[in-house]
Amino acid sequence: MSLLAVRPGDMGSVRPVVTDPGEARPGAPDPDDRELGRRFAAGDEQALALAYARFAGQIHGMAVRAFGPGPDAEDVTQQTFVSAWTGRAGYRPDKGPLPGWLVGVARHKISDTWARRDRQRRETEAAMSEAQAAPGRRVTAGVDTQVADRVLVLEELDLLGQPQRGIIELAFFEDLTHAQIAARTGIPLGTVKSHIRRTLERLRTRLEVDGAALHA
Amino acid sequence: MQHCTPEQLALAALREPLPADDAAHLADCDRCRAEVASLQRAVDAVAVPQLAAPGPSVPPPPRVWDAIAAATGVSATPSPAPVAEEPPEPVAEVLPFRSRRRPVLLVAAAVVAGAVVGAGAVAVLQDRDDGEAVTAVALDPLADNDASGRAEVVLRDDGTRVVEVDLDAPALDDGYYELWLIDREVVGMVPLGVVTPGSQTFELPADLDLGQFPLVDVSVEPLDGDPTHSGVSVARGELDA
Repeated sequence: MSLLAVRPGDMGSVRPVVTDPGEARPGAPDPDDRELGRRFAAGDEQALALAYARFAGQIHGMAVRAFGPGPDAEDVTQQTFVSAWTGRAGYRPDKGPLPGWLVGVARHKISDTWARRDRQRRETEAAMSEAQAAPGRRVTAGVDTQVADRVLVLEELDLLGQPQRGIIELAFFEDLTHAQIAARTGIPLGTVKSHIRRTLERLRTRLEVDGAALHA
Repeated sequence: MQHCTPEQLALAALREPLPADDAAHLADCDRCRAEVASLQRAVDAVAVPQLAAPGPSVPPPPRVWDAIAAATGVSATPSPAPVAEEPPEPVAEVLPFRSRRRPVLLVAAAVVAGAVVGAGAVAVLQDRDDGEAVTAVALDPLADNDASGRAEVVLRDDGTRVVEVDLDAPALDDGYYELWLIDREVVGMVPLGVVTPGSQTFELPADLDLGQFPLVDVSVEPLDGDPTHSGVSVARGELDA
């Protein structure tokens, strides 16, 4: 007994609904996720509607988890699909499944909403402080560093190639250990570890360079 | 002793437990701790449940699509309704408030943070009556299985070692779960016994080198009388010790 029946899973954050082209639902001419991703990238309007039908529940579920049901969550879901559609040139079907990419876009929208709220909070506080302070004295409220860092980290993740991006996303967002990532992806343990190291170094550099600028 | 390797410091930044030697070094070494802290800034920025992989699906109200259609000028309509398209896949099933890594995560965090949060958090592994937990590992579902759990190696006061397993898995109609320690090449295997969903304890052979058999594996075995591994593993984790 030397080979155990373990097959590596997908690298994307979300398991596609239908992965096997031969597994299409009976009577439904629906494309599988791979084909749907290609059509989406090519600008097929039906593909946007179909992607919404398939994945809006998951995306909206994330948005509701972040903001509760209501206008903020609905805005995030709406912005995710609108941005994904207008930015579809940035989606590369060969780099990962469409639902995983949509989840990545949704993370940006959630993070941007937090950053916007933080900015509004600071403006409000600054206005109140200035109203109370002596004339001519400038008072600024502090930036929430973590909110700002979050936007930068998500930006930098977009710039990563594969398999680095898939590996760090499994660690960050699916809470997998490096051993679990190796088991999931079939990438050797040592390679997973060195990718994690290099990616964290890269993120640290980004935060040190651009994060510091926020406080200047 | 030597400093931790850069790779191990990166894992510590992700709050993975380190081997005992490295964890001990890290607790005492300002340089290594500063390195972990600097790498951890990015980890902490995104380690919030709201950004975790999608959990429960929530169908948005119809006005959301109306707004998307208006903004994009797309006239196609989604059909069927999004609510019908929920894939019940374990991979997407990361519950935001119940981290699989949390039990060991607390310990790693305590090691890094030292005395500040250490007192309470470290108790998760060490404060036991019967011995000392030396390492713990999450058992992650393999492929599309629903099985998961946690294994903890405990060094008892009398010098013996046991593996305490907490298995969360569906009951089997026929066949049974078996616990194994397996080497990295997945060739050598030590059977530890029948395991059922829930908590149970397995004694380790006295001279067994866990470094040689670091994979904790749960298999599904048919009732065929064959004592070898069936080849069907449902959950696995790798010990770091």
